[in-house]
Amino acid sequence: MTRLFDRVRPAVINGLRELQANKVRSLLSMSGIILGVASLVAMVTVVQGMVGNFRQFVDAMGGIEKLTVVREQLPKEQEHLAELSEGLTMRDVERIRRTAPLIRNISPEARVGYEKIVHEDREMNTYVTGVTADYLPVAKRWVEPDQGRFVSDLDVLNMTDVIVLGSAIASELFAPNVSPVGRVVKVRGRRFTVIGVLNNIEGTGMQVRSASSRSSGGAWRWRNSGAFIPVSTALTKYNGNDRLSGLGLRIADPDQLRDAVDQTERTMLAAHKGLRDFSISTNEQTLEDFRKTEAAFKLSLGGVAGISLFVGGIGIMNVMLASINERIREIGVRKAVGARGSDLFLQFLAEAAVVSVVGGLIGLVVSVGIVVLMNFILMQALPTGAVATLDWVIMGEGLAFSVVIGLVAGVYPALRAAKLDPIEALRHE
Amino acid sequence: MPPLIAIRGLRKTYRMGDENVHALDGVDLDFQKGEFVAILGPSGSGKSTLMHILGFMDTPSEGSIVFDGEEVARLDPDRRAWYRSHRVGFVFQAFNLLPRLTIEENVALPLLYRDGSDPEANLAAARAALERVGMTHRLGHRPSQLSGGERQRVAVARAIVGTPSIIFADEPTGNLDVKNVDRVLDLLGSLIKEGITVVLVTHDLAVAEKAHRVISMRAGLVQEDRVR
Repeated sequence: MTRLFDRVRPAVINGLRELQANKVRSLLSMSGIILGVASLVAMVTVVQGMVGNFRQFVDAMGGIEKLTVVREQLPKEQEHLAELSEGLTMRDVERIRRTAPLIRNISPEARVGYEKIVHEDREMNTYVTGVTADYLPVAKRWVEPDQGRFVSDLDVLNMTDVIVLGSAIASELFAPNVSPVGRVVKVRGRRFTVIGVLNNIEGTGMQVRSASSRSSGGAWRWRNSGAFIPVSTALTKYNGNDRLSGLGLRIADPDQLRDAVDQTERTMLAAHKGLRDFSISTNEQTLEDFRKTEAAFKLSLGGVAGISLFVGGIGIMNVMLASINERIREIGVRKAVGARGSDLFLQFLAEAAVVSVVGGLIGLVVSVGIVVLMNFILMQALPTGAVATLDWVIMGEGLAFSVVIGLVAGVYPALRAAKLDPIEALRHE
Repeated sequence: MPPLIAIRGLRKTYRMGDENVHALDGVDLDFQKGEFVAILGPSGSGKSTLMHILGFMDTPSEGSIVFDGEEVARLDPDRRAWYRSHRVGFVFQAFNLLPRLTIEENVALPLLYRDGSDPEANLAAARAALERVGMTHRLGHRPSQLSGGERQRVAVARAIVGTPSIIFADEPTGNLDVKNVDRVLDLLGSLIKEGITVVLVTHDLAVAEKAHRVISMRAGLVQEDRVR
């Protein structure tokens, strides 16, 4: 082992000297590796940022453990039974609670509409929805302790006129130094007491923005608006009927998603006397689409980076062959004074490796530049958070890739050097 | 005393197109330790082929070579490399110093390829060899900064750095001016005092006359072997 090291060390030193002696040529020969490593590392880093973004997006929609039940038109073969359809009601909530044990939380939602909310001289338009206390676990939201409380079962039972505001709505209606809790706002002329403000999603570590978001608040703005009142208040005092606009269900175990969907469907079908006037959707499809997108991204970007690394390898091989052609005489001299074929093989392999490692290191520096630049640009567009963070593992992989490419690219030229006949080589002009 | 090298029935045949060319056609020679020998002959006489085979750069097609008591006619390439780095030195017409290495590094080169070679010790040996040829004032220079005569003295230092048994000098004065020819030939001749066998390979009779023994070759055969 030490003997191999004794042979490798001078070969590496020699490689560094050759690189120093041919700076421009070396830089040109490493350009492919530089581009390859830079694109590989930068792209994987950025894709990982986007992946994180997607995950949070799915999570913000309730995650994989959320089912959504909405009312549907009856299918053609059941159209003649339309008058029997009652739509979704609080009775469905009770039935599912009783007969679908895989469902942990049920959040009935009754949309009141896009309403103007007025506080003194300020007003704001937003969706007002009737909900129960189960809205929070299903939507994965909460009310910070100093921001009041959410709608309670008692509020639903008593049909109270209380309202919980999204943080974006609260900040529009109230001055920063005013606590909204306990204040009175008006919705379509009716007075509601503000009992709480929902958690602010932008302020809770949601670093990553969707690329489609605009500068005014980002993709999560819709998540911070809205206002919530007891579902009973919404149905009785506004809608005048018992029809819910939808049910949000949270399942106990994400692994039992399929069973939970079946269970819910059977319960609903039985309750609705066999009428298919509802549909159940999951976030599974979204997640699946996102996984496909992620795979496609990784494949195509990996392909691009792989091709540039391949081209980089060919570049190194080409320059090594040219360099060996120029140094046939040197190879002859080295052999004449006692170098074995393996010594020259090592020498030229080390040269190729040195070129690719230095190229890889430059590529890493460039990739850091690219990532920082992209973060800078995206941060101009989106005022909060960074898009992608540098990952040592990815950078290490990028460098390892370049070493492998350099070694592979160096083998053929090094073999040629090793096999040169010393007499022929010394005669070479 | 047995000769340093004893060759018997040495033949080297090349295939050139459809013809077999006999570069060496049955050569028998002995080289003694500390001998100053010239191999004289026109191009194509087989003198270079003989030098390459005796210098472990090539192998004969037939015949035997006993080097220091060992049969060496059919060694594998790595073993021949070992002999080149330990037992043989070369001086070339074109100097063949590596342009990117300093003078000391050029001289130390043969030691680099020895097992367990130590860079510091190699450079020290190189400096001693350069002292032997009177070139210590140029240690850190590159070959391009030296005159032809200086370069050839450096090349001689490189040939002796590994304390070889035999040095082959292939037209060592071909690229030198008159003043330096004598100087380099005298330097080579002086090496025999250290027990080194020096073989001058040349087509120039005037150069060959400097040696103590002249072997004339023609058409792959020894034509004349004359001790002066």
